[in-house]
Amino acid sequence: MTEPERQLAEPVAAFEPRLVALVCTWCTYAGADLAGTSRLPYAPNVRIIQFPCTGRIDPLLVLKAFEGGADGVLVSGCHPGDCHYTSGNYHARRRWAIVRRLLEFTGIDSRRLYFSWVSAAEGRKFADLVNEITQEVRAAGPFEPANPARRRPWT
Amino acid sequence: MDLIAALRTDAAALLSDGRAKLVIGYRAAGEQLRPGVARPGRGEAGRAPAFVSDPARVDVLVYDASCRQNLASYLRKPEVRSRSPVAVVAPPPVMRSLVLLAAESQVTDATVVVLGVGEGVYHGVLDIAQTAALLRGKYADLAPSAEVVREIERIAAMTAEERAAFWTARFARCTRCYACRAACPLCYCTRCIVEKNVPQWISSAAAGHGNYAWNVIRAFHLAGRCTLCGACEAACPQGIPIMLLNVLAAEEAARDFDARPGYDPAEKPVIGSFKPDDNDDFVR
Repeated sequence: MTEPERQLAEPVAAFEPRLVALVCTWCTYAGADLAGTSRLPYAPNVRIIQFPCTGRIDPLLVLKAFEGGADGVLVSGCHPGDCHYTSGNYHARRRWAIVRRLLEFTGIDSRRLYFSWVSAAEGRKFADLVNEITQEVRAAGPFEPANPARRRPWT
Repeated sequence: MDLIAALRTDAAALLSDGRAKLVIGYRAAGEQLRPGVARPGRGEAGRAPAFVSDPARVDVLVYDASCRQNLASYLRKPEVRSRSPVAVVAPPPVMRSLVLLAAESQVTDATVVVLGVGEGVYHGVLDIAQTAALLRGKYADLAPSAEVVREIERIAAMTAEERAAFWTARFARCTRCYACRAACPLCYCTRCIVEKNVPQWISSAAAGHGNYAWNVIRAFHLAGRCTLCGACEAACPQGIPIMLLNVLAAEEAARDFDARPGYDPAEKPVIGSFKPDDNDDFVR
C-alpha cells in the first residue's frame, strides 16, 4: 500500500480540508510570501503551487488537483492591468468563466472553486482569503470520494 | 430543378472543370460506389458519406433532413487534404463549422468549396465569404434544441451531489472510443491531449476520473467554437448526452464573451482573446 492509499484508507477523525492554490509567481506568490514574512497566521490547509503566470494555468491542472485529493482549488494572480506578461491574467479569467460552469455542472460544488486577484503587496488579503476559503470548503465537507472527478486507488 | 438534381449538376461541374478534385456528400447507405462493391452504411435513416471524384458518379449524392453527419470532419485527414480543393455538401451547422475552420486558418478558398444546402433549399456553390454572408442573412438565429436547453436547466437546478450522480452514471458508460472526437470537424489536433503520456494529463483507462476529465476537457476545448451540429452525440455509441456540455459551454461563451462561432471568417478565437472588461463577478 502506498502512502496516499494508506491515507485514503484511514478514517479521518475531524475533517480538515485540503486546498490547492495555483498562483502566479509575480503577484500572489509574492503576496503569500509577504504574509509569511509579516508573520500573519493563516490556515495551514493550503498547498501553494507556483506558476510563472495565471495564463499558464490549464483546466487540466485543476482537474489533476481534484483527482489527487484536493477539496478546493484556488487560482490567483495579478490584478487586471498588472500582469508581468501584459495579459496572462485576462486569458486566465476568460478560461475560468467557462471551466467554472463546466465543473459546477458536472458535479463539483461551487464552494470548491475560487478565483482571485492578490498583488505582491496584499499579504493581508492573501491570509484573509485563505482563511475564508478554508472555512467555506470545510462547510462544503470532504470532496465526495464517489465523485467521478476523484481518482480511486485500484482495488 | 429540385435540390438534389441541382446539387448533382453542380458537383459534376466542379469535378469536370477542376474547381474540385473531390466532392464529399451524403449517399443512401448500401449504395454501390463502384460496381460490385457494396458499401454498408450506418447512421440515421441509412445515410452514409460519399466521396466522389468521378463526375459520372455524382448520381449517388442525396440530401434530406436525415443527413446529420458533419462532413467537414474529413477535411483534417491527409488523404483528403491531398485532394484539395474539396467540395463539401454543407447544411447550415456544417457551413458554420467551415467558416470557423477558415477563421482558425484550417481551410481557405483554395482548399475548400461549399455546396450549401438547407431544409428543402439549395444555396449553390459558395466560397467562405459567401457562406458567412448567407449564414448571417438566413441562419443568424440557429439555436440549440429547446429540449437540450430545458435539460440543462433541470440539471443546473439540482444539488452538486445529484449532478455528480447524474454524470457519474453517464460517464461510466464511456468506452473512450473517441468517436465524438472523430465526428467533430473542430477536433483537428494531430496529437490530442488525451494521447499525451509524458506526463499523462488524462488517464486513458475507460473508467472513473479519466472518463470525467476526457469529457469535460473535450467540452472545454470546444467552448466558444462548437457550432452545435450534434455530430458528436449522434456518433456516441454509448448514448452519453454530450450536447448538454457543449451547449452549456456555448451558452456561457455567448453570454459572457458574445461568442458567435462560425459566422465570420475574420473572428478572433474566444479562448485566446480577451477584453479588459470581461465578466469578473466570480473574482474574490
